[in-house]
Amino acid sequence: MPNQGFMMLHALFGILGILFAVALFVDVLNAHEGNYRRIKKLSSAVAILIVLAFLIGGYWYVAYYGADREIIKAGKWPWAHNYFMEVKEHIFFSLLLLSIYLPIAVHGVMPLNNTKKKNLILGICALIILLGLFMEGAGGIISKGVIMGLGR
Amino acid sequence: MNNSDMGKYAAGFGLSLVVTVLLNAVILVIKEISTPFMSAMKAALGHHWTTHGALLIIVFIVLGCLFSATRIEDKLDSGKLLKYTFWAVFISVVIIAGFFLPGLNVAATIKY
Repeated sequence: MPNQGFMMLHALFGILGILFAVALFVDVLNAHEGNYRRIKKLSSAVAILIVLAFLIGGYWYVAYYGADREIIKAGKWPWAHNYFMEVKEHIFFSLLLLSIYLPIAVHGVMPLNNTKKKNLILGICALIILLGLFMEGAGGIISKGVIMGLGR
Repeated sequence: MNNSDMGKYAAGFGLSLVVTVLLNAVILVIKEISTPFMSAMKAALGHHWTTHGALLIIVFIVLGCLFSATRIEDKLDSGKLLKYTFWAVFISVVIIAGFFLPGLNVAATIKY
């Protein structure tokens, strides 16, 4: 049961991180003095949520994934581990570093009074969103790989 | 004179991000092709992935502090940093996704 709980929390914090990054993207597109505080708060929230997703997912991966890996590799979708988990677990580091850097960048370029500064934050948000969506998709494929391995 | 539109930490940690993202792909390739390196990473913190992550976070923080102390913000503006970050992530993703492509042997696993 803790196995499933950790997995659900990992996916939940990941999705929330992506959604907050989308909200930040929109806020930066419409940046003005009135929403600078919210932009700073959103950037910190993205970092916290992705770090939580990383820590919980990392713990689950090290503590529980071994059994699932054997089921996937013996099943009909071994590539769910051989490709998607291998790629996911390593690209996650880039997502983590981008997310940790996001609030540093936001605080460092304030006020967002020119296009170059806005584009930096928008670009980082876009990378976080795209990598995050890949993480969610790959996670779904890996879960389906376990189901296929169990023959359900 | 400060020519930058960024603070020193945004510039320093931005450049550190670029280096660390690329280093991620380099460490991956080395550990996957070198058994002694993989064994050393497993031995260090009990799991190669844990060591990999810890190493990247330490490098990111150390390089970020070092770059921030070297007035890197005078040479780097937010436009350049975005370009470097995008290419670093793109190259890293291509290396990682490409390295594991042989694992995506879907056709061989389909039961006809």
